[in-house]
Amino acid sequence: MECEEIKQLIEVKNVTIEGGKQNLRNVSFNLCLGEDVVFFGAEDSGIDYICPLLAHAFEDYSGEVLYKEQHIKHMDFVEVHNFRKIFGYLQRGYALISNMTVYENIALPLRYHTDLSEREIHELVDSLIVYLHLSHCRDLRPVILTQSEMLRTAFARAVALDPDMLLIEHPLEGQCLWNAQIFLQALQNRAFAPNKTVIVVTYQPLVYIDIATRFIMLHEGSIVFDGTKEEFETFENEYVKQFVDVLPYGPMTLR
Amino acid sequence: MMQIIKKNIFIIIQKIDGIIRGIADFNAYMKAIVRSFRSLRYLKIRSLYSIAVNQTRFTGIDALPLVSWIALLLGATVIIQATTNFPKYGIESFIGNLLVIIIARELGPLVTALIVVARSGSAIAAEIATQTQNREILSLELMGIDTRMYIILPRIVASFVAIFTLIIIFDIIAFFGGYLIALTSVYIPMGTFTQTLLDAFTFNDLLVTITKSIIYGVLIPLICCYYGLKPKSSFEIPIFVSKAVIRTLLVIFIINAVISILFYF
Repeated sequence: MECEEIKQLIEVKNVTIEGGKQNLRNVSFNLCLGEDVVFFGAEDSGIDYICPLLAHAFEDYSGEVLYKEQHIKHMDFVEVHNFRKIFGYLQRGYALISNMTVYENIALPLRYHTDLSEREIHELVDSLIVYLHLSHCRDLRPVILTQSEMLRTAFARAVALDPDMLLIEHPLEGQCLWNAQIFLQALQNRAFAPNKTVIVVTYQPLVYIDIATRFIMLHEGSIVFDGTKEEFETFENEYVKQFVDVLPYGPMTLR
Repeated sequence: MMQIIKKNIFIIIQKIDGIIRGIADFNAYMKAIVRSFRSLRYLKIRSLYSIAVNQTRFTGIDALPLVSWIALLLGATVIIQATTNFPKYGIESFIGNLLVIIIARELGPLVTALIVVARSGSAIAAEIATQTQNREILSLELMGIDTRMYIILPRIVASFVAIFTLIIIFDIIAFFGGYLIALTSVYIPMGTFTQTLLDAFTFNDLLVTITKSIIYGVLIPLICCYYGLKPKSSFEIPIFVSKAVIRTLLVIFIINAVISILFYF
């Protein structure tokens, strides 16, 4: 899909990753500012490479990942530092800092990256804590949080700097959907905000049907579906249909 | 016979190869840290403050009772041995020199470093290894935080402050606490004891204490963080924590000997 040049955020060109349990084969796509994209596919389909690839978390690939026409692989130390401020990253398993409280976890990127005073940080973090219903566990450490509290804390930390792009990996893994409602509502608000891009990698694309504007499916390292929400909802693509309907027979075989 | 010799030679070559690879790997780790100094301009001291304070508290204040007891017992042992045996050889006037040589120059810094390695070094390695396994270190990197500066720098500062303070406290307790305990078996006037200590103490001794504090303060967190970042699975955490402690101890003994040779030989 093409986006207006001014709104182009990241372009992935012919990226190939080989040698692991998952592979990517000649994958190309554009991400535009304001676009909300769900990457989905089966285990080992290659979807788990998407967020680390966009975040410059590894370099062992061929092809190009361009941010503002600059190859992120060729960025120097300072450019990587600045590049990582433009996105928030909600990792699989949440990876909250275990010796910090909920408040400290959320305040960490603000304390490190901004010149805000402690009072301003306090106000900002407190507003996120209230917004995500975390007031009761403000001073608790991750070890005693519930799964949904951890998810919301990780989300708050990822959006604390109000980044242009939010990368989210399998957020609902091990989550009770009832408890995850606050997160899903906050994610929807984020996705609907102008010029904010949300990228979700998941095995459950249907959960994000009211959030995403674009769905991309990978199978064995290749893109087998790339379409709008409306195109996705028709389930005409045989890969999408087999995956969403959990059918044993179709173009994909169970391994 | 030849086969056994060949096998042993092969094992030795493998060991040497392992050591060379280890040194090269540590060298790469050091270079990465030096490269990270470029991020110092982005570093906000406030984001390191709590780590440095917690580490100083754990390494310094929390270790104080243990250091005090060991200093007291060690000081008493040395003083009792010196005061009971030196008069037999007519060298009782050298008691102060012996105390400065054994406690201030060698035992104080060495025993303090051993306590810090055993308590804090192992804790640093285990903490970082667990954080690596839980992908917390990766999450810091993805936040644009330079993990080498963020993790290692505050620990180095904290270790230096804690070790320097603990060495001074160790020496004072070993001298005067040991003196009080020794009073139960032999009598030495306090004035005489203090004067012999002051006479024996030189500027060089102070310099050695500061040098050792700086070197141990840098090396202990540096080596322990290196091994803390190594485990690839939770199964490897105890292996690398053990390596961190043993190798740091080895390095400290070597450094201690080198400094003694450089300053006093």
